[in-house]
Amino acid sequence: MKRLVSLLFIGALALLLLYVVSKMPPMGEPTNPTMTHVVPRYLEKSEGEAHARNVVTGVIINYRGFDTLGEVTVIYCALAAVLAVLGREKRGRIRDYVELSGIPSSVIVRTMVALVVPFIVLFSLYVILHGEMSPGGGFQGGAVIGASMIIFTTVFGLHLSSVKVPLKVRAALEGSAVITFFLVGIAGILGGGNFLAYAWPRVSQSLQPALVTWLTVLVEVGIGLGGAMVFVSILFAMVREEGADEPLA
Amino acid sequence: MNLWHNFHYAVAMVLFCVGLYAVIMRRNIIKKIIGINIMETSVFLFLISIGYRKGGVAPVHVEGLDPSRMVNPLPQSLILTGIVVAVSITALALSLAILLYRQFGTLDVNRLFREEEEEAG
Amino acid sequence: MEPSFGALLNVLLLSLLLVTALLAVSSRDLLASVILFSAYSLLMALMWQRLQAPDLALTEAAVGAGITTVLFLVAIFRTRRREEE
Repeated sequence: MKRLVSLLFIGALALLLLYVVSKMPPMGEPTNPTMTHVVPRYLEKSEGEAHARNVVTGVIINYRGFDTLGEVTVIYCALAAVLAVLGREKRGRIRDYVELSGIPSSVIVRTMVALVVPFIVLFSLYVILHGEMSPGGGFQGGAVIGASMIIFTTVFGLHLSSVKVPLKVRAALEGSAVITFFLVGIAGILGGGNFLAYAWPRVSQSLQPALVTWLTVLVEVGIGLGGAMVFVSILFAMVREEGADEPLA
Repeated sequence: MNLWHNFHYAVAMVLFCVGLYAVIMRRNIIKKIIGINIMETSVFLFLISIGYRKGGVAPVHVEGLDPSRMVNPLPQSLILTGIVVAVSITALALSLAILLYRQFGTLDVNRLFREEEEEAG
Repeated sequence: MEPSFGALLNVLLLSLLLVTALLAVSSRDLLASVILFSAYSLLMALMWQRLQAPDLALTEAAVGAGITTVLFLVAIFRTRRREEE
């Protein structure tokens, strides 16, 4: 009975949603309401105001920076909650719970991964630093670093990857996204503007474009490193074995 | 009938209902978390489709490109942060599932409710 | 939507998305569901590229097909693989 009611509810919701969707204006028309409000301004002015050729980065870091500051805080809180639930290793003592590397991987796989991972990390640094000119940015690059660490852990085991990215480094960098973003915001106030103002009124007009660009890059690097370390720490916390840590060899 | 023109929207709505089905009807907690993920991505698909423009190009300024041809950058930037938040929420939900399994030895919601009643009674 | 190659590709991708989502939800083997969900995320990354959102495609490919899938796999290995009857 309960199952029947639930199924009926889902079916009715689907029909309702499809009906509403069929009444919406056709997709992709330039006259749609979403295209006419603030968007033309973002598209035309972002190069001159946010000094970001990639409008998406301009919106994330500059126009809607306050929103992104909140999101970064949410990610950091999620990491804190995961660590509160699963616990964290003591310094230098860590062992796989899940034998991700249990099946001994072949020489080919090990060699290829060892060769490829540095290039993936290099590419992600490029993605982070070029975020304002080409598709990319802090979140994207951070995700790519996280994925590269996952490949490394899957093939070589948690022990070795925790040597490559030690606890000290992770603990120092996890908060870097929130801290850089917040400090840049405060610097905006000190520079004579609002919180999170990038073009400080106290700086002369000629220097402002360079200032905005460098502050954007700074925030991107903070988000990239912070996001990457949050992903790596979440992965380590989930793979780690409870209560059977072994001393570092 | 506009449904053919809005095919992307319709698929997003159906995906939302598939995810909702998993969340409501499946008893396994990991299945429910997969359902939540499907619901999230369906909403992302809906918002990005709304921001699409016929014959549009990615919102990156290149020499000699007319800005009025670009697709809407606003949903893209909001959803970019949304994807990253979604993965951290998934990680939190999964670690809570691991904790539940360690405590009760099951991931079936009905059995979890029974265990809880037995502990209380 | 004119029956052009791009439109057909979009319809194909969206149908595959629906199929993988349905299979991921209905399979009783959790490992199979997770792998299907990974395929779903990868198709979604292709869809972002079709909708001219390269930033999202990059993130979804790394996060959806990489990080989320491995987190699900670890959770399954630490709990149990089959759904209970």
